[in-house]
Amino acid sequence: MGHIEFHQVTKRFDNGHEALKDISVEFDEGSMTFLTGHSGAGKSTFLKLLMCLDQPSRGQILVNGVNVTQISPRRLAYYRQNLGAVYQDHHLLAHRTVFDNVALPLRVSGMREKDIVRRVRAALSRVGLLPKEQLFPGHLSTGEQQRVGIARAVVPRPKILLADEPTGNLDPELSQDIMHLFEQFKQVGTTVIIASHDHDLIESMNSRIIELGNGSIVGDRIDGHV
Amino acid sequence: MTRKAKLRKDPWPRVHTGPLTWWRDHRRVAGETVHFVSARLGASLLVWLLVGIALALPAGLFLLQINLAGMTTAWEGRPGLSVYFDLGLAEAEITAAAEALGSRSEISSVKITTQAEALQEFQTYSSLANALDLLAENPLPASLRATLRDGASLMDLELVAEFAGRRAGVSEVVMEKTWLQRVTDITRVVSRLGLMLGVLFGLAAVLVTATSVRLAIEARLEELRVLKLVGATDRQIRRPYLYFGAFYGLGGGMIAAMLISLCLVIIETPLTHLLGSYGQNLEMSGFDPKFLAVLLVVGGILGIAGALLAARQRLADLEIN
Ligand SMILES: Nc1ncnc2c1ncn2[C@@H]1O[C@H](COP(=O)(O)OP(=O)(O)O)[C@@H](O)[C@H]1O
Ligand SMILES: [Mg+2]
Repeated sequence: MGHIEFHQVTKRFDNGHEALKDISVEFDEGSMTFLTGHSGAGKSTFLKLLMCLDQPSRGQILVNGVNVTQISPRRLAYYRQNLGAVYQDHHLLAHRTVFDNVALPLRVSGMREKDIVRRVRAALSRVGLLPKEQLFPGHLSTGEQQRVGIARAVVPRPKILLADEPTGNLDPELSQDIMHLFEQFKQVGTTVIIASHDHDLIESMNSRIIELGNGSIVGDRIDGHV
Repeated sequence: MTRKAKLRKDPWPRVHTGPLTWWRDHRRVAGETVHFVSARLGASLLVWLLVGIALALPAGLFLLQINLAGMTTAWEGRPGLSVYFDLGLAEAEITAAAEALGSRSEISSVKITTQAEALQEFQTYSSLANALDLLAENPLPASLRATLRDGASLMDLELVAEFAGRRAGVSEVVMEKTWLQRVTDITRVVSRLGLMLGVLFGLAAVLVTATSVRLAIEARLEELRVLKLVGATDRQIRRPYLYFGAFYGLGGGMIAAMLISLCLVIIETPLTHLLGSYGQNLEMSGFDPKFLAVLLVVGGILGIAGALLAARQRLADLEIN
C-alpha cells in the first residue's frame, strides 16, 4: 500500500499551458522523495494530480496498480482517507479550533472520540502546538497554521504522505524537525513525497531528489548520485 | 470472492470501519444539525412556518373531505324519502303502506306522521299556527318518512320512491336525493381540490426546504471542500443536509398540525351551530394521533426530498483546488 507510478502523464491547462510533460516516474512503498525545481516548474501540479484534485490530460497515475484518475467517488474518498496531505494554502477551517481541525480526518473515518483525543493531542504535541489546541487558526501565525496542516496530515497515520512546501513559512530549526517527522513516517512504511525548493534542507536529508524544470523531469538522484 | 479476500485486494481499505462507525457519524451529524439550526433560530422558524402553511392547506382539506363523506351517512336526516298520503286516507292503509316499505331491504326505518301529529308539529313550530285555527278541516296530509339503510345508493333511493309512488292513496313522494347528491358532489370536488393542492403545496414545501438547505450548503462550502479533502464520502457530506431537510419538514408538520387545530377551534362554534340547526351533533373526525403522525412523516419525507434536491444541485460539482 503505497507504491506510486506516473505513466506518461501530461497536464495541459485550459489556456494551453503544459504544466507537466509526459512524466513517467515510480515511487517505492516506504520511500521518501523531494520534488524540487524553480517556481512554476510543476511541483504543485504533480502533487495535485496525485491527490486527485485535478485530472491529467493524458497518461495514468497508478497507486498500487490502480489508476486513481478513474476511480469512483466513493473509492476516491477511501483513497483520500489513506492519504495525508499538506497543502500550500493549508485549507484549515477558520471556525473550528486547532483541535477540531486536526481531528477532522479521524471524525470522518468514524473513530471513537476517546481515541481521537489521544491521537490529536499526540500529533499536536509533536508539532509543538498542544498549548494552542483551543485557538482558532486565525489567531495563529502562518508558520503555526502550517504546522496545524501538518498535524492534520499525519494524524490518520496515512499510507501516503504528500506535502506541498510544508516548511515554506518555518524557520530552519523547525523545518528540520518537521522533516524528521516525515522521515519517521517513511520508516514505518509510508511513501513520502515533499515538494520544496529549500535546497539546504533537501540536501541534508539524504533522500531521493527529483528535479522538475518546465514540466519535465530534469534530474533524479539519490544522496548526490545521479 | 469472500469479503475478507476482497478487502485484502482493496488497495485503500476504508479506514477504521466498524459497526458503530455509521452510528457515530449520525450522532455527530445530529448534534451539528441542532447546533446549526439553533444558531439560526429565526430563519429556521420561518422555514417551519412556510412548510407548515404549505402542509396545512391540503391536510385541512383532507380532514374536511373525510368529514363530508362521514356526513352523508352520519346525518340524522340520512338519505331517505317522504311519502305524503291523500287527505282522509284510512289509518289502516297508511300502516299497510308503512309495512310494505319497511319490509324492503333498502329501508332501515319508517316513521308515520298522522294528520293530527302533523298539525300539532306545525302549531309548535310555525308562527302561522293561529291561521290554521280559522280552517275547519286539517289541511295537512298524513305522511311517512322512510330512512335508507347505511350505504344505500342513489339508485336504491329511486327504486324505493318508484315503489312507493305506485301505491294507491299516495299523493306525493319526495326524495331527499338532492341533498345526498350535493354532499357527494361536494366531497368529490373537495377531494380533487385537496389532491391538486396537496401536490402543488407539497412541491412548494419541497422547494422551500431545498432553498433553505441550499443556503445552508452555501454557508459552509469551504468546510465541505475540506471535508472532501480529508476523505469524507459524498454520503457523509450530504448527511447533515438530509438532517436539516427532515428537521425542517418535521417542524413544518408540527406547525401544520397547530394551524389545523387552531382552525378547528375557530370553526367549532359556527359549525356546531350549523349542525345543531339540523338537530345534529356531529363530531369532527379524523384529527387523531394517526393523522398527526402521518402529517409529521409526510413533512419529514418532503423535507428530505427537498434536501436531496438541493444536495444534488449543489454538492455534485463541489470542486476542490
Ligand atoms: N489552473 C491553471 N491554469 C493555467 N495554468 C496553471 C494553472 N495552475 C498552474 N498553472 C501553471 O502551471 C505551471 C506549474 O504550476 P505549479 O505546479 O503550481 O508550479 P510549482 O508548484 O512548481 O511552482 C505554472 O506555470 C502555473 O502558472
Ligand atoms: Mg507550488
